Amino acid sequence: MYELDMLLHGAQALLNQPMALLLALFGVTLGIIIGALPGLTATMGVAILLPFTFGMDPLSGLLMISGVFFGGIYGGSVTAILLKIPGTPAAAATAIDGYELTKKGQAGIALGTATFSSFLGGTASVFVLIFLAPVLARFALEFSASESFALAVFGLSIIASISGVSVIKGLISGFLGLLLATVGLDPMGGFPRYTGGYTELFNVPFIPVMIGLFAAAEAFKSLEDPQVRAGMAAALDRIIPPWHIFRRQLGNIARSSGLGIVIGMIPGAGADIAAFVAYNEAKRFSKTPENYGKGELGAVAACESGANGCTGGALLTMLTLGIPGDAVTAVMLGALTLQGLQPGPLLFKDHADLVFTLFAGMLVCYVFMLVVGLGSLRFMGRILQMPKSVLTPCILALCIVGTYAINNSMFDIWIMLAAGVVGYFMQKWDFPASPVVLALIMGPMAEANFRRALSLSNGSYDFLYTRPITAALLSIAIVTLLLPLLRRLWAQRSAGGPSTINPAAGTSRMGTPE
Amino acid sequence: MSNAPAPGGKVGLRPQDRLATLVIAALVMAVAVAAIIVAGDFPPTMLETDVGPARFPIIFAVALLVLCAILVFNTLRAPAAPPDDPAQVGPKISYGTVAIGIVATAVCLYAMEFVGYAIATPIYLFGLMWLMGRRNLIANAAIAAVLTALIYAAFAYALSVPLPVGSLFE
Repeated sequence: MYELDMLLHGAQALLNQPMALLLALFGVTLGIIIGALPGLTATMGVAILLPFTFGMDPLSGLLMISGVFFGGIYGGSVTAILLKIPGTPAAAATAIDGYELTKKGQAGIALGTATFSSFLGGTASVFVLIFLAPVLARFALEFSASESFALAVFGLSIIASISGVSVIKGLISGFLGLLLATVGLDPMGGFPRYTGGYTELFNVPFIPVMIGLFAAAEAFKSLEDPQVRAGMAAALDRIIPPWHIFRRQLGNIARSSGLGIVIGMIPGAGADIAAFVAYNEAKRFSKTPENYGKGELGAVAACESGANGCTGGALLTMLTLGIPGDAVTAVMLGALTLQGLQPGPLLFKDHADLVFTLFAGMLVCYVFMLVVGLGSLRFMGRILQMPKSVLTPCILALCIVGTYAINNSMFDIWIMLAAGVVGYFMQKWDFPASPVVLALIMGPMAEANFRRALSLSNGSYDFLYTRPITAALLSIAIVTLLLPLLRRLWAQRSAGGPSTINPAAGTSRMGTPE
Repeated sequence: MSNAPAPGGKVGLRPQDRLATLVIAALVMAVAVAAIIVAGDFPPTMLETDVGPARFPIIFAVALLVLCAILVFNTLRAPAAPPDDPAQVGPKISYGTVAIGIVATAVCLYAMEFVGYAIATPIYLFGLMWLMGRRNLIANAAIAAVLTALIYAAFAYALSVPLPVGSLFE
């Protein structure tokens, strides 16, 4: 088999380049640190390191950048699980159940599961990249504006399943997020909407809102209770998940990795979308979907394997077609061309040795990620030994600095603070924050691609049902949106009708009116 | 929020939770109405095949109005929860501390624009630690200084991300 032979040759060549391996290790470590810090994303990490690769040989430079990419996607999960600070947008999905596990005293197992799932998802995606790149690249070309719109709608339909105790409140959060997502320049005409004259609002300040809703809101909450203020955060406990527990997640990880790879290939869709979609599918296939949102290990495994599965998928279209799957690979595309390499089918022909050595290096990067990740978790877990009265101010300071780091803008920090205050009140009255973040990710994608598809079809709405992928994704979206509602109605009926439940139709199990 | 079962096995709402839900719904409805009014001033699109910049915000705002109306309806119909059992009441929540924390964060941000990160942050950290019950002033000052320096080193030196210097020192 040609690919396997080339991969073995690549691995052999890699062993003769210790400097490239060292730089890969450095990249992974830096990526994990960058990913863990709020506001700093994998994209930013790759962009920061890009100038340093100019003087390097192509393999060393590209491996270091790949290391930052992989480490950055994984690193976001560490603070998401320990502190409910999603270091990266992809980790917002991990934070939902990851932090609940920390509150239950299972932070160690959650972190260990996240690390192994990231490793498995990422490694699987690199293998797919190696063996199936040309075949899958053709599938990626099938995705035009209408399919991307349908994917965004499918992503948005997840809102119903991450709504927590009340679907109506989840939907209100989601639509509020969608309305917020329209702030900025109109995607077709460039007209500024709801910006109030502030140029800072020309792009939706999505990361400041995310940091505010998750991290700052949680920090404000820990100010309110004197007992919490005086206590420790939680214990780390065991890190490596027991085999009998992790074994049950393997199917979930395989499915989520597959989803991540496919989503990663689609231009414009990244690890954040993959993590949320993987979360939803894990919940759909789970035997205990009611545990999702309350600290379910399967949710952490799904989000992390999905997000890291995205890495290989995003690289696949970038390397085979020259189309970056997300923002990180767009920067990596620049790194590739700076090294004199032209992405596309000819890359695999003209530079096969380099490409397969790079693939072997990517697999090594994931091994480094596993080793560095597991090795650093005990140290990271020390965070939980800090008294809350020190940890909370530290979290707030990190929120401020991390938000500032995105655009060097004080305006963004004020947005973060406002989102933190709103998030605090949302938390208090059971309005979930995750749908807002999901809507901020998917909203602009849905609107821009819908309007683009409409223009491409000369104003006809036929594209909604004549294109098979679009129709299939929209159908799944409708089912996904309606299923939780139907399940609840069914549960209410089978529970004995209105006499045993709240007459406010749809009042949830926890008593929150829906 | 209260999840106490009302008499007859029904799930009820405490008066304060009912009021809060109604206030939040009213606020969201006000935002949605404002969004629709402002969207009315958006210019029409130049492309015949496009729906224009106002269509999506209006759809989202109308959906919000409908959902909030359902929430209000359900909240008003929900039965009242029985009074809390004093024995089962949890720790008293100090909203004052939260408010002070939020105001302190706002003051820190305002100060940071003038005096920069290096001065505003340690004072902010010190104040928050005191607010959270740490009364050892020397230890608090030392922790605040170390944390400020660590964050500064991580961002400014290790990652080359500049932090606010403050207009007084620029």
